Amino acid sequence: MFETARFESERRLTGSAVVALGLSAFAAMMILLAPGIIDEFDVAALTETFSPALVEAMQLDVVATMEGFMALELYWFGWLLVLGVYVAYSAASTIAGDIDDGTMDTLLAAPVSRQQVLFEKFLSLLTPILVVNAVVLVVVYVGTQFVNEPIAAADLIAVHALSIPYLLFWGSYGVFVSVLAPRRLVAEGIAAGTLVATFLVKTIADGTDIEWLGVLSPTRYYDPVTILTVSEYDYSGAGILLVATAVLLLASGVLFARRDIQ
Amino acid sequence: MPVIHTDDLTKYYGDVRGIEDLSFDVDEGEVFGFLGPNGAGKTTAIRTLLGFQSPTAGSATVLGSDITDAPSLRKARGNIGYLPSEPGFDENVTGRRLLEYHGSLRGDVRSDEILELFDPPLDRNVGEYSRGNKQMLAIVMAFMHDPDLLIMDEPTSGLDPLKQEEFLEFIRAEQDRGKTFFFSSHILSEVRKVCDRIGIIREGKLVELEDVTSLINRSGKTVRANVAESVTATEFDIDGAHDVTVSGDSAGVGDTAAGDAGGESTSVSFTYTGAYEPLLRHLLEYDLLDLAIEEAPLEDVFMRFYGDHDAEAAVERVEHERADGADAEATDV
Repeated sequence: MFETARFESERRLTGSAVVALGLSAFAAMMILLAPGIIDEFDVAALTETFSPALVEAMQLDVVATMEGFMALELYWFGWLLVLGVYVAYSAASTIAGDIDDGTMDTLLAAPVSRQQVLFEKFLSLLTPILVVNAVVLVVVYVGTQFVNEPIAAADLIAVHALSIPYLLFWGSYGVFVSVLAPRRLVAEGIAAGTLVATFLVKTIADGTDIEWLGVLSPTRYYDPVTILTVSEYDYSGAGILLVATAVLLLASGVLFARRDIQ
Repeated sequence: MPVIHTDDLTKYYGDVRGIEDLSFDVDEGEVFGFLGPNGAGKTTAIRTLLGFQSPTAGSATVLGSDITDAPSLRKARGNIGYLPSEPGFDENVTGRRLLEYHGSLRGDVRSDEILELFDPPLDRNVGEYSRGNKQMLAIVMAFMHDPDLLIMDEPTSGLDPLKQEEFLEFIRAEQDRGKTFFFSSHILSEVRKVCDRIGIIREGKLVELEDVTSLINRSGKTVRANVAESVTATEFDIDGAHDVTVSGDSAGVGDTAAGDAGGESTSVSFTYTGAYEPLLRHLLEYDLLDLAIEEAPLEDVFMRFYGDHDAEAAVERVEHERADGADAEATDV
């Protein structure tokens, strides 16, 4: 049991470290830039220049604090989009990629069930998710202390912890697409493309007639801005994401068991 | 109970035929060669037997497990070694790590022993491996858990001649230990060396299933005679003679001027299935200069099953078209 999860996790370590370093560097840069930008930021002037709808969509009104600034610049962009795409993309290449390059044959020749292979490959996605979250959490905590604009530790832990269901959801979606797609490239494209599309739908649809569309967007169930600015934690949103993850994994398992490996 | 049993096993990919109505048994302890031209369905049959794809119709059991019963077949795979034709590996790990991983999945009781025969550079990344090294790594993986049944898809591909020979020797030794082999190939010499029985597949269907020895016996003898007179092919159309060809002796043509032979000589060759006596009686009606009767090469036997494909004529046709095309171009200019 879990030999595949262990093997795949090891293989993900390098990539996870690279992403952790990249996002840490980005976080550090944002922390260093933040005090200067916050000082010069004038929300009233912005509201006059741009339409209120746009100001609200871009959530410019919260940028004026360290919490709001980091929520938007690092978590909104770095977590919802960048890390989400990384996880979805990695997940999408699992099954379809292994079938493409023939490693699935070598693996399935062993006395393992397809459902187990699929689940263990999914589990290995916890490596980038946990490594990146842990490293950047420390960087942001230490960094904001260093520039004397500390963010409440509880909020910071919550913004990372609650991102895990969000990222797991995209992992399960990537695996699901990977089982259905005929080739690796198709799976990767669909998985990453869906994430970007739902991200944009949520951002654009908020406050408009098509706001209901946002219900379908996973970004609705993990909101780093409310966590950091008003310390509101959306546990039910996290629950919905975990349930959706489980459903997608079960469906993937059923579909994978029936699929021809060609 | 046969180790592998198939009953009208059929696999279609949509409208494309993979295999159709395959029925055969592979018995315990035998080496079964599965032969056919490229695209005949050999790999499809193997992948269906391993449960990588589900059959469209028909049924099959492997080591007593129904191939459509996933949990049962999963257990059976613990006792099967599989050697794919183009082994695929995770390329950014070392061979040693990969062996350790696959050993943990299927058990490792004898990789050390097999690594003495087939020795890929274990400390290098598999991505740097040559084709032959990958094949050797796959061989170690197929045998490491000491399975009773080995399913192999063109197992010697990528190996150098020395390793090929070693591998065939290894198959014989493993057969003596009671192992069963089912392998596809289109290398006739290796089939001749190790197989007890062969099945020939063509366009998805099994066209022949026989012992290698009786196939060779049945396929007859190649007869080559050189006679000191002019003869026609119809004269040699006796009972049991096939594919009679007659040609003027090329050596004789040049020598005619010297006139030492004085007359014509003709070469006759054909495949003969039948008793010696009528053949020899017929031959003695002629002035025999030379006579050779030998076992028909296995190649000829296979060519007969593989189809009426005439390689020489095909190449000539293509070359001819090319020459015609070039001529047409030249006149255009």
